[in-house]
Amino acid sequence: MVRKWTPWLMIAPSFLFLFVLTAYPLYFALKNSFYYWNLQTSPVPLQFVGLENFRNVFSYTPFFVSLRNTLIITLVGLTIEFSLGLMIALALSSRLKYLNFARALLIMPITIAPIIVGFMFRYMYWDIVGLIPWLAESLNIPEPEAGFLGTPATVLPALLLPDIWQWTPFFALIMYAAIIGVSSDLIEAAKIDGAGGIRLVWSVLLPTIKPVVVVVVLLQLMRLFNTFDLVYVLTNGGPGDYSRTLSYSLFREGLINFNIGVAAAMTILILIIVNIIVFIYTKIFMRGMKL
Amino acid sequence: MKKSKLKSFGIYFFIFSFLVFFVGPIVWFFALALRPPESAFQYPPTLIFKPTLEQFNFILVEPGNSLLQLFNSVFISVSATLINLPLSFLAAYALSRFRIRGKQIILGWYLGLLMGPVVVFLIPYFILMNNLGIAGSKLSLILVLQVITIPFSIWLLKSFLDELPLEIEEAAQIDGAGTWKILSAITIPLCRPGIIITTMFAFVFTWNNVIFPIILANSDSATLQIGVFSFFSSSGAQWGVIAAISSIAIIIPMLIFLSLDKYVVRGLTFGSVKG
Repeated sequence: MVRKWTPWLMIAPSFLFLFVLTAYPLYFALKNSFYYWNLQTSPVPLQFVGLENFRNVFSYTPFFVSLRNTLIITLVGLTIEFSLGLMIALALSSRLKYLNFARALLIMPITIAPIIVGFMFRYMYWDIVGLIPWLAESLNIPEPEAGFLGTPATVLPALLLPDIWQWTPFFALIMYAAIIGVSSDLIEAAKIDGAGGIRLVWSVLLPTIKPVVVVVVLLQLMRLFNTFDLVYVLTNGGPGDYSRTLSYSLFREGLINFNIGVAAAMTILILIIVNIIVFIYTKIFMRGMKL
Repeated sequence: MKKSKLKSFGIYFFIFSFLVFFVGPIVWFFALALRPPESAFQYPPTLIFKPTLEQFNFILVEPGNSLLQLFNSVFISVSATLINLPLSFLAAYALSRFRIRGKQIILGWYLGLLMGPVVVFLIPYFILMNNLGIAGSKLSLILVLQVITIPFSIWLLKSFLDELPLEIEEAAQIDGAGTWKILSAITIPLCRPGIIITTMFAFVFTWNNVIFPIILANSDSATLQIGVFSFFSSSGAQWGVIAAISSIAIIIPMLIFLSLDKYVVRGLTFGSVKG
């Protein structure tokens, strides 16, 4: 017989642990968003300032620039990674020889810590002997004076390249797994009905693998929205604020400038934005899906 | 016939170009670790050089600059993984088998922890660890890593537990076996592959987590990846050393993932896509 409290007894240890690890930061952010507190001048919050911190987030931190950059990175990154990933998945599912080997190799980029991907690309972007400037020169693409990472116009694409490199295989692998799960009868039937090429993919394949796609897109959407590691290693948000993301701006405000109050207010704002995005996404794409 | 041959050639060409794009940078970086210093400055870049183990010798043997950090990485990842496993397994079992009020909320919350912006945790944890007096310790890292490791393991383990046939457990229940008895004698042995796979993924997740150590580690507890930062300086970067340390940090999760092959999709989506 299962006793009534047995399930809860099993959940409790991890639940309580995670509760503390989640509730404390949340409480910390909520409370301190209303206090003036600079860690360099005081180890404890100094005074209640009402909504001053929120006003400061908008007036003196580059919040809107960071939000804009974050949204660009998220949407452009997602679009490119999804489309490229889908193309690779389709190519892999063509049942030719040796493709299984290719699929195994595709796993490699995903296994690397994003920070190390950052190191790899910092080396490749290096203006002295970097592979990327050299390739650009060979292809007659002019490299800006300050390098791709140092120029406002090119810094976001240059920052996205490593992300695309690392996470396109993720889409490819997952959609490949979903595509080979689609019954060949369904595809044959669609072909007999005259659907081919893009139509086949768009109106037969994608709807069939939709349950997988919506989950994967959500995971990647959030991961891109939280972009931090690559900014930290490659640009430090520069030049100027041109490559700052929300996560990076929060890090700067809290752990470089030590403005805990302002950072706390920023945390609340970011969490609100994240929740809105997830809410809208699940309302549109994940109706009726159960966890 | 001719058309299909052309098509397969096209596909091979497409895949091959992408493999060059995806694997090339890794090869290039590994090559950097093996280059003699003077070859690292050659322009145009070349792949032809006499490989040397000088850099690895420097970080691992003489003077062995990264040995402590390698040890820290292993120690922290292994401990964090082992601590999380029993806790996660019990929770995953309960969430998989019993009707629990608020189950969807708990699972959603845990998923939120996996997808949310980790940076929001950094400042509070930084202050919390200072207040607890364990700032900079390996213990503090092992503790805060659980905020990712536990939800991950619960989700992945639950996906494996959901797949196990219930008949055996039900039969044992009818025979009068208690919940804990069933768990230890039936479920855990049946779920062993799932447990092993989850362990390996949880290890990689903690191994590759750099965002917590960036803020919470000090020079005694720094992990391998953090150690790399000390080889960047205003006068330039010691690329050979950086690549050598990175190679070690890369190769371990890579081998684990390649050995998990079929389960990679599942692990990366926290069990939500079976693959």
